Formats: sequence, C-alpha cells, structure tokens
Amino acid sequence: MIVSLAWRNIWRQPIRTVLSLLGMAATSMLLVFMMSFQFGAYDTMKSGMLRISDGFGQFQAATYKDDPEIDKVIADPKALIADLAAVKTVTAATERSNAFVLLANGERSFAAAVVGVDPVNEPKVSTLFTQVKQGRALKASDQAAIILGDGLARNLKLSLGDKVTLLGSAMDGSVAADVLTLVGIFKTGVAEVDRQIAQMPLARFNDTFMMNGAVHIVAITGDNIHQIEADETRLRGIAAKNQVVYLNWGQIQPAVKQAIELDMSTAMLMYVTLVVVVVFIILNTLYMSVLERTREFGVLLALGMKPGQIGRMVWMELIFLSLVGCGAGCLLGIAVTAWVQQVGITFSGMDAVTAQWGLPSRMYPNMTPFRVLAGPVAIVAAIALLGIIPYRRVMGLEPVPAMAG
Amino acid sequence: MKTPNVTCRGVGKVFGKGELAVKALVDVDLDIMPGDFATLAGPSGSGKTTLLNMVGALDTPTSGEVTIEGQPLGKLNKSELSDLRLNRIGFVFQAYNLIPVLSARENIEFVMELQGIPANERKTRAQQVLAEVGLKGLDNRRPSELSGGQQQRVAIARALVSRPSIVLADEPTANLDSKTTSELVALMYRLNQELGITFLIGTHDPRVMEHSRRHIELLDGRIASDTKI
Repeated sequence: MIVSLAWRNIWRQPIRTVLSLLGMAATSMLLVFMMSFQFGAYDTMKSGMLRISDGFGQFQAATYKDDPEIDKVIADPKALIADLAAVKTVTAATERSNAFVLLANGERSFAAAVVGVDPVNEPKVSTLFTQVKQGRALKASDQAAIILGDGLARNLKLSLGDKVTLLGSAMDGSVAADVLTLVGIFKTGVAEVDRQIAQMPLARFNDTFMMNGAVHIVAITGDNIHQIEADETRLRGIAAKNQVVYLNWGQIQPAVKQAIELDMSTAMLMYVTLVVVVVFIILNTLYMSVLERTREFGVLLALGMKPGQIGRMVWMELIFLSLVGCGAGCLLGIAVTAWVQQVGITFSGMDAVTAQWGLPSRMYPNMTPFRVLAGPVAIVAAIALLGIIPYRRVMGLEPVPAMAG
Repeated sequence: MKTPNVTCRGVGKVFGKGELAVKALVDVDLDIMPGDFATLAGPSGSGKTTLLNMVGALDTPTSGEVTIEGQPLGKLNKSELSDLRLNRIGFVFQAYNLIPVLSARENIEFVMELQGIPANERKTRAQQVLAEVGLKGLDNRRPSELSGGQQQRVAIARALVSRPSIVLADEPTANLDSKTTSELVALMYRLNQELGITFLIGTHDPRVMEHSRRHIELLDGRIASDTKI
C-alpha cells in the first residue's frame, strides 16, 4: 500500500504533476533527439571523410605515418590481406603505395602525392573513383594512366588525354620517372585532396618506384565504422603478426577526431546544464510538496509509521514521477528521432561546408540504446540521488512539531 | 489488582528556556487503568494536549517518567517508540487527519499494513471495524466524500483496528455538530463497554463529559482533580 500511496500522492496536485512531467518529458525527448542527431552527424562525418580515400583503418610500417619514407613498406601485403579475410567485419581491403613527386606538363610543374592504387579493390574502400567528374576512373587494364584532382589538373593546365611527366625517387634510391596519360579528373570537394592527389595503377607504381611487390598501406573498410572499431584488438593482432602497425580512424584523421571531441565536450556541457536545470526545477517542486505535507507526515509518525518508511515513500514519489516523465520523453524522443531518421534534415546554405568534409547535404540521426537512454537515465539518477534532500528532511521530523505544521 | 495501561510519575514539561520558559505540565502523577473511559478537561493552555502527547509517546517529558504497559518510554529509541504507537496506542485527532488519497477502508488497512498483517486479514478486519463504527457500505469512499462525523468514525475505526491498549482522543468532537457529537460519544462509549477498550479523551465538551466514568481536571499543568463517576 505504501507503493500505491506514493503513486496516488503524486496525483494530489494533478496540474503541478502534469507540468513537472511535461518538463521532464520535453527535456528527455530533446536529449534523445539531440544526442542521436549529434552522434549520427559524427558518424556521417567520420564515414564520409574516411570513405573518400583513407578507409576505416590502415595497416602501415611502424613509423610510416609520422615519417612517410618510401622504403617503409609492408613487404608482403598479400599475406596480410589473406589474414584479413578471416575478419568478418572487414568487407574489403586494398593495397596502396604513396610517393611525393613532381608532376610536370611542359614548363609547368607541381609537387603532388601520387598514390598507386589497385583499380579493382580501391573502389570498394574509397569513394574517390566515384568522384571522377571528367573522363573515367582507373581500370584494371590501365598501364600508363593517371587521374588527378581537379585543382592539380587546373594548375598543370592539363586536359584529358594529355601526357603528364612524373619525377620522383624510387625505393632503391634511383630516379623514378614516368610519362602517364591523364584519363580522369576527380573532384571531392576537399580542397587539399583535389589540389595535391594523383592516382595511378598500383602495378605501374610498383615498376616505376621499384617497390618489388611491397606497398605502403593496406586500407580496409566495413559496413559500419563501429564494427571495425569493435574489432580493433583483433586487427592489431593481425598487424603484429605481419610486423606492421594498425591505425584506427582517429590515428588516420586526428584532426577530425579532435574536432569531434571538441564539439562533443561543448555539447556535453549543454546537456549537463539542461539536466541540472531540469533536475533542480523538479526537485524544488517536489520539495515544496514535501513541505506542504509536513503536518500529514506528523500524523503518519503519530500513527506509528517510521521516519524511514515515510522517507522511502517520498523517495518513491520522486522516482515514480521521474520514471513516468523521462519514460514518456524517451518514447517521444524515439518516435521523433525515428521519423527524422527516415526523412533527414537539410541545413540550407551549408552545402559548401558539408562538401568540404565529404558529408551529404542531408543529415540523419542515429539511435543507439546509449544515445536514447543516457539523457533520461541521467535525469532519473540525479533526481533519485538528490532525493536524499527531502528524505533527510523527513528523517528529521518529530511528530508533535510536524503536526503543528 | 489490575496493572495500569499508562502510568505518569512526576511528569513535567517545560517549553522554551530562561525567562521565556513555559511550564506546560508540573509534576503530574496519573494512572490510566484498563477499561477506563476517562475525560481530560481543563481550560485552554491547561496542558491537556501536552499530557496526551506524553501519554501517546509523541513527546518526551522534561522531567518524570511515562510508562505504557510497564515499558518506560524514556528508555525507548525512536524506532521502538514508533512500534509502541503503532501497536499499543490509537489516536483520534480533532481534525480527523485521514490520508486524503486513500479510501475509508484503505485508511484503516494502512495501519494494519504497517503492522505486517496479511492482505486478506486486513480487508476482513477493516470491514468488521467499519461495520462496528456504523460505516458499512462506505468502504470505498475517500475522506472528501464523507461528512465530518463519518470521517471521525473512520478515524476511530483506524485507531481501534490495531487493537491498542488505549485510545487517545484530542478534542474529537470539536469540529462536529451536536447530533453527530452525541452519536460519536455514544459509539466510543459502546466500544468501551462492549470491547473493554480504554479511552482517554481530551475535551471541554460537556456532552462528552456526560458519558465519562472518570473525570480528570487539569489546571495550569497540574491535576486539579481526578474523579471517578
């Protein structure tokens, strides 16, 4: 009956209770939606950025990331890829080699990073091939072919079918020189990529730079970046076995990771503020209701109810109220988020910014149990914890002064 | 010889300190015997409520000792005092003090639940006691749906259902009209006569005192007279 009494007590002042419930429900709904949307945007940002060319993870020689010298290689990439075949979450892996070269067209020359890619597997890992706006992407039968970012092609004043002279250093220290035909021009929207990157067939790169079958990077992808993250320990094991290192997305794109962390910390501050404000407003309302009932608590004490029992009843009232409010908010939040998950949200005027990050113009929230429950549970937990305030007040009551009001 | 339900020995109560100190009770000696139907009368400020609070284990005396069924209250902790009030004392208040969100039957069952009585027995006993106080059929009404007299009957039923040694009533008829008062006093008297329940009633209502078989008069915190009728 104490449980039933606690439940009925919260409905003594229906308007006040409904207002409190609405406050908690609205806050919970907002938290569910905002967290799902924010984390969904992060996922889109990460995936979009990484899918352009990096992949969700990379295998490299130990110090290649910090000091990308041409002789820091994965000597036997085929063995590594064979090991990766056993990892279900890795849906594709591709080999790459990089070199810093001078690309020249007649009198004009520009420094560029040329990437040797496997035309068969590369499209499974990166979207760069789909960004080819003029000409075509590389194909398996290509020999002396190259594709350039549109900025680079413009700087070199190159058109499709033109010859490009490549000059660099081979792995054995000799001069690497080649003449390639421009077959495609891509435009990712990421200025850095479009101004500096060129791609050529990996087999040709292997010959030109005397790589002897070695590569600099094995990039992987999966259906979902979180699945790849979850398999990180296993991937690191495979890397160790092949005497290379595994880089996760954060190590590949530390700037993106830092930007997300910075944005997340600002958002967290806002979420915490929202929770704190709501919790104290609700607690104040409920504390008022406890003060109003001091006389009644005195009567209950006189009847033989123990202070602890009354305190627990008041605590139950707080928890019931917060569970109903936050539960309703949670359900509303799920409904709203599920709907937005279908239709997405477009931010007008943000096309240039989103394109720069490799993002689609329409963003979608992404619900997970954590994103749905974190906010509402934080509110319920905070109210339950701060319920100690009215509880202590009740514990200190004596029957006679309490009945005197 | 019967053992008293309640014994007060040299009970004093002082509110405040120093020059502001007020002596509400002074050296009160009192025995309430089983089956007593006693009224405690006196002018306002004479100490009736204070004495009822002492006897009801709601407050502690500044001096002296109150004993209920041989248990000196001064030696009991807060929890033991709660248990004593729950199991040995029934209270009837001037303002009824029913729990507004519970029905008449639930108000009565509530005390039994605190006593740990099983649900089936609670329901049966609550219905019995409601019938005893003349409220059969009104089980499911909430206090706001009952008249003042009916609410006070529920309060009496609530006080009785725990099978206490003594029922303490503080001005139980103060908010009632004369007809309802007569009915209520008759009810308490009948319960005293038929069930042997001890009543100590703080009142200055002559209609209550008419039924009294023992009349205790308080004046300035002292027992001025204690008359068996």
